[in-house]
Amino acid sequence: LLDHTGRRRRMADFHGQWVLLYFGFTRCPDICPEELEKLCGAVGRLERDPALPPVQPLFVTLDPRRDDAAAMARYIRDFHPRLLGLTGSPEEVEAAAHAYRVYSHAGPPDEAGDYVVDHSIAIYLLGPDGLLLDYYGRSKTEEQIVQSVRQHMQTYKPLPD
Amino acid sequence: AVKMSAPTMEERKACWGARDEFWRCLDRHGDDGSKCEKLRLAFESRCPQQWVKHFDKRRDFLKYKKKLETEGYHPPEAAGKS
Repeated sequence: LLDHTGRRRRMADFHGQWVLLYFGFTRCPDICPEELEKLCGAVGRLERDPALPPVQPLFVTLDPRRDDAAAMARYIRDFHPRLLGLTGSPEEVEAAAHAYRVYSHAGPPDEAGDYVVDHSIAIYLLGPDGLLLDYYGRSKTEEQIVQSVRQHMQTYKPLPD
Repeated sequence: AVKMSAPTMEERKACWGARDEFWRCLDRHGDDGSKCEKLRLAFESRCPQQWVKHFDKRRDFLKYKKKLETEGYHPPEAAGKS
């Protein structure tokens, strides 16, 4: 996928790092900003513990037709300095969404051409091996996510070589 | 496709604020929309049309959920009862 600076990124680029990943779109009425606040809030809280490795926050769009790199760059500014926005061609985005079993469906456009994208809601935790370790739905609080990530970091065992 | 910029954080908050004011008015007047027309217009002017639709549906859902929680679930009567 392309990040918000236009640079090509692959999931392999994030191996070795802990990642919190969310799929949404920038014209989302309320859920995406709330989930991103929660995700980035958790990242910020974890950052303040010097004993823990940093977590990379990622936001992937499910609306690549409107959310180009520039739109992603504008959107992510409000959340966390290290939040990376990712977009790409419809095929690339669909492949990424498929890899994480994300459901999404663009609604019908209105007279202004605007539409909302209905989508499943989850924050995914990926470990340094790139494997999905956990996921957090709408009902999970920032505190619960912080505790869960901390727990995963403590019990993490790298895959054997 | 027409490129439309997403609302900024300030614009989102202004929209949510207008929505919340409108909903508080509805709460005060037992959902009588005629008592809240000014706030309805303010809400519609501050939010994209798609978001107005989304929040209208959200309000319906929240009311339904409250009803289920307080009154319990009553299945609708079947059209042809045996």
